[in-house]
Amino acid sequence: MSALNNPVIAVIVSLVIAVGYFTFVDHYLMDMQGLDYWYLFRK
Amino acid sequence: MGLLTGKRVFSIMALCMMVGLLLLPIVIALPSPAIGEEAPAGDAVKKDGDKVEKGRDVYYKTEGIVVGAPAPKTTDGPKDYPRYNFESRVLIWFANQQHLYYGSFVLAVPIFCMIIEFMGVVTKDKALAKRYDQLAYDFIKISLTAYSLTAILGGILIFTFLTLYPAFFGYLSSIFRPVMHIYALMFVAESGTLYIYYYGWDKMKEGFLKWIHLSMSVVLNIIGTLLMFLANSWIGFMMSPAGVDEQGRYLGNIWHVIHTALWNPLNLHRILGNMAFGGGVVAAYAAYKFLAAKTDEDRAHYDWMGYIAMALGVSFLIPLPFAGYWLMREVYAYRQQMGITLMGGLLAWLFIIQATMIGILFLSSNYYLWQAMGRMRGAEKYQRYIKYLVFLLICGFLVFITPHTMVMSPAELKAMGGQQHPVLGNFGVMSAKNGGINVMITTTVLSFIWYMRGNKVSTVSWAKFGNIFMGVFFACAYVNIIWLAIYGYYIPANVRVGLSVPQVATTLSCLFFMFALNSVMMSGAKQMGPIEWGKISVRSQYALIMLATAFTWMMALMGYIRSSVRLFWHVNEIMRDNSPWAYTHTVGFAANMISFNVLFFWISILFVFWMGSLSAKKVPVEAKAGIPGSVPQPAASH
Repeated sequence: MSALNNPVIAVIVSLVIAVGYFTFVDHYLMDMQGLDYWYLFRK
Repeated sequence: MGLLTGKRVFSIMALCMMVGLLLLPIVIALPSPAIGEEAPAGDAVKKDGDKVEKGRDVYYKTEGIVVGAPAPKTTDGPKDYPRYNFESRVLIWFANQQHLYYGSFVLAVPIFCMIIEFMGVVTKDKALAKRYDQLAYDFIKISLTAYSLTAILGGILIFTFLTLYPAFFGYLSSIFRPVMHIYALMFVAESGTLYIYYYGWDKMKEGFLKWIHLSMSVVLNIIGTLLMFLANSWIGFMMSPAGVDEQGRYLGNIWHVIHTALWNPLNLHRILGNMAFGGGVVAAYAAYKFLAAKTDEDRAHYDWMGYIAMALGVSFLIPLPFAGYWLMREVYAYRQQMGITLMGGLLAWLFIIQATMIGILFLSSNYYLWQAMGRMRGAEKYQRYIKYLVFLLICGFLVFITPHTMVMSPAELKAMGGQQHPVLGNFGVMSAKNGGINVMITTTVLSFIWYMRGNKVSTVSWAKFGNIFMGVFFACAYVNIIWLAIYGYYIPANVRVGLSVPQVATTLSCLFFMFALNSVMMSGAKQMGPIEWGKISVRSQYALIMLATAFTWMMALMGYIRSSVRLFWHVNEIMRDNSPWAYTHTVGFAANMISFNVLFFWISILFVFWMGSLSAKKVPVEAKAGIPGSVPQPAASH
């Protein structure tokens, strides 16, 4: 826990969690509607 | 002991009676559809001897036996449209709007009472519990006077329909006959429950009896909500009829008539809207009492009351745009043309006004929260960051209110090269607007979290990580919302329309996860000082009044938009409006009419508040004389 209180580590860990979470949300919720979140990148 | 047992028996009987009242309309109404099915209506049932005529449901596409008369084909004249020397539509508009205002208020306030009474029952701080209980009692007292006015206005509305639109009302009541009877009986059940709930308050204020009393508030709110759902089925039918054939003949399935395409979105939108509106009205009442208060105790009490009402109102305001979005989506799914008329055609400018009002609501809420931080020691640390929140809010607001096209003179049109501004015109599409409103809501969530931790310092061992994680999560949420808004410009419309769902999910993630995280971090936190209730700027109270006025104005505006989208139909595509007023008013006329309704409501509700204060004036004198030291103390926490 003390390592997480190091600001640099805390920011990196938080970024990984937040970016991962929002990417998952974007992908999953579009997929749930039968739509392709990555449409632009596949074209 | 015997007395207590007697009270228990009485209270259980009262609760059973309420449940009985709740079920009574359903039991009585059960045979009604059956009778309706058997009873021949006009000459529509049987033709050619024993042959039963069948019709096809316009929405569900199922076949059913025709048991109702076709929708009347009206003509402009005294038979179908009797009138005074005045526009009948304006009269019905006024009667409807006032009834809706009061109806919303008396449905919302008992829900507040239930929440506040529950908070009083579960809180361990006895002084705070007593204050919650008193607050809930004050709320229901105001609601009781307003309840009578609601019933009176309902009567006026029915008489207005019967006298000015007899053909239309006759048709509607022939379709909804069993529903209208259930509605009337529900109203009786609601009245009975409300009176027992109010007058039983003192007798059921402790222990087991208190729980029974609280259960009554639940029953009261179930009845109230069902009442609203039934009334919603009428407007749902007028907008998106079902359960009838193309001539408007009832096909015997009452559930189809109630459960139209827009019924559920309307139900959700109205529940949330009523709660936000009720919170705004009570907050304005508290603000007025705060401004007029002569003592610090009164100021502390009304400051606290205003905060509770505002917090409840805003907590229902936050999901309101999402419910509105669902409603609009269902409108588009039902009839695309109806959606285009609303948001991209005849009524589009009213949506720009609506966006402005929504923006004002969020700006006012945030402003109040920032001002409210002034009554906490320790909240100064957030003051220097508020300017960034203002920036985000203003950016979101400006994008949200930018129209797609401008109203211009021919010379201006020529100078700009078209109706669409080369830069600002890009913000007038849903992709940008979804981004704008989500940024505003997320910022409001952030303001609330700052307010909640204003005078506290977390003592958990991982506090530093928690704070950093919260900051990063919010930053990523903003980036995701804006990214999705921009991404929408580069993909086709059928894919773009789905982006609003992850945008909403992003905002809701901030709301739920960050509130939960903050609560965990702040449990057992060190307090920098108590919340000094009453020590808040006067400006904050004007923000509350602004909030309530904006709620009231927007409610009338949205009611007008929803109603006018039927254009020249009483019942969309089934019964045509042939009165001379079957046209859409100008935006200016509608705005004046809305303002008049708002003004009338506020004048009449002031009268209700004054009536409530007549009986309240005696209470402090008796309390001070009988129980020394019972003057409300500022709460230690919120």
